[in-house]
Amino acid sequence: MKSEQANKATMVVALFYVLIFALWQTLFSVGLIPEYLFPSPVQVTKRLWELGADGYLLPSVEATLVRMGKGFILAAAIGLSIGLVMGVSPITNLCFKSLFLGLQTLPTAAWVPISLLIYGLSERGIYFVIIMSSVPAMALATSSGILQIPPFYLRAAKTLGTPWYAMPARVILPAALPAIVTGLKLGWTLGWHGGVSAELIKSTIGLGFLLYMGRELNDAAQVMGIMVVTILFGLLLDRFFFGIIEQRIRIRWGLEKRGG
Amino acid sequence: MEFGNRTKTQAPLPQNASAEPSRAKLLQLTNVSKTFQSATQAVEALAPSNLEIEEGEFVVFFGPSGCGKSTLLDIIAGFETPTTGEVLFEGSPVTMPGSDRLMMFQEHTLFPWLNVVRNVMYGLKHKREFRFRLRKQRETARSWLKMIGLEEFEKSLVHELSGGMKQRVALARALAPDPKVLLVDEPFPALDALVRTKLYADLQDILVRTGKTIISVTHDPREAACLADRVLVFTPRPGRVQKEIRVDLPRPRDINDQEVGEYAGRIMEELENPPDEK
Repeated sequence: MKSEQANKATMVVALFYVLIFALWQTLFSVGLIPEYLFPSPVQVTKRLWELGADGYLLPSVEATLVRMGKGFILAAAIGLSIGLVMGVSPITNLCFKSLFLGLQTLPTAAWVPISLLIYGLSERGIYFVIIMSSVPAMALATSSGILQIPPFYLRAAKTLGTPWYAMPARVILPAALPAIVTGLKLGWTLGWHGGVSAELIKSTIGLGFLLYMGRELNDAAQVMGIMVVTILFGLLLDRFFFGIIEQRIRIRWGLEKRGG
Repeated sequence: MEFGNRTKTQAPLPQNASAEPSRAKLLQLTNVSKTFQSATQAVEALAPSNLEIEEGEFVVFFGPSGCGKSTLLDIIAGFETPTTGEVLFEGSPVTMPGSDRLMMFQEHTLFPWLNVVRNVMYGLKHKREFRFRLRKQRETARSWLKMIGLEEFEKSLVHELSGGMKQRVALARALAPDPKVLLVDEPFPALDALVRTKLYADLQDILVRTGKTIISVTHDPREAACLADRVLVFTPRPGRVQKEIRVDLPRPRDINDQEVGEYAGRIMEELENPPDEK
């Protein structure tokens, strides 16, 4: 029964994408928009294939993923530390919460100009943008996760003799882990946004760079193709990497039923 | 009848105990009261009370909600500080929670990030004789899991256990650090009758085997009669101890036993007809 339903859902989603591509192709075939501005799905796929064959695509994907990975690890370390302090110290929380909420309203691309001023065209500027884009979200998620820990975990830990200095590692961080992972996932997405924006201007390799190069060459097929690739990788990591970790933790913590 | 007066589980007396002829006083509460101050009013949760608890006793605080029984348990555990009075545990004042006065809660409160055996090991980590000695911690935890009959589940995760199993693991976790007194805050209401009966049997079994001092809170008169050596009947507004009833029945007792039922009736009567209002 269940798998039948799942199959049906998969079919519908597949049909939806077929329709989108059909619509895209139809719009192209009608010819209202000039071809150099609006290439067909076939042309986009062909251009991606050429980029791959010429050895541009894979190194760029790799460069972007490595940058994002490194930047994410750094940002997570910073965000978790600040979030932990905010979670256990009400006065720190009061101060940083408003600051981070403010910073979060800033579009991630808005960090690019200041990073150009500080770091010029160097690689470090990209890390700067990734970190500034994602740290506020991760710190806020960590602190609010800690503040929402069910009090009975803390009471149980205390009556079991946990000294105050052992509380963060033994109870506070593990108990807040579901919220922290959700925050890390959001941080990754924001860092991805910021990082690709920074790559547009600062890099000589990477997905953002290929996007920019496509524009320079007036190559709409390349621009759209790289956009599709960026979406695919973003989705893949968000849904399948972070999404699966998040769900497993939520099941183990008893916040979600298996398969529910 | 042997279990009735429980000579077997009596604590060994100190050599020079001349002032205390029978058992050692484990807990002494003098004039303890608690008032909660809200923005608009002060609520006296517990009127000034005196209480002494001896080693090896099973004392049940019985009463309706809002009668101060849980507040008193929190004060003994060290979660609340009394507004007036003094709590002496083995002669020294109680200032904060600790594993010598270990509390079991209504929820199982097992840590989901640890598996079953690591949950039971948890309370040992901070005890001097166990610190950094993982193997010793694990062996002790295993022996407690064996005692509650869940040794096959030591690697299981918390969410994989049934409600009754979780509560039994919580019991093992509470007993592993060898607390001087086990404080039990209505831990069974969420469970079905069959599982509860089994847990009562477990709890009495442990009491008889280890001679542990246990203080339990309940609003179920049968539960009180089944478990207690001594039932303290609390009445609300303000919370106070109305009456003390000794339950002189042999152990192990069955909660469905007729004599237990008769004691439950007497306990209920105390609550409904307080003597000073007659």
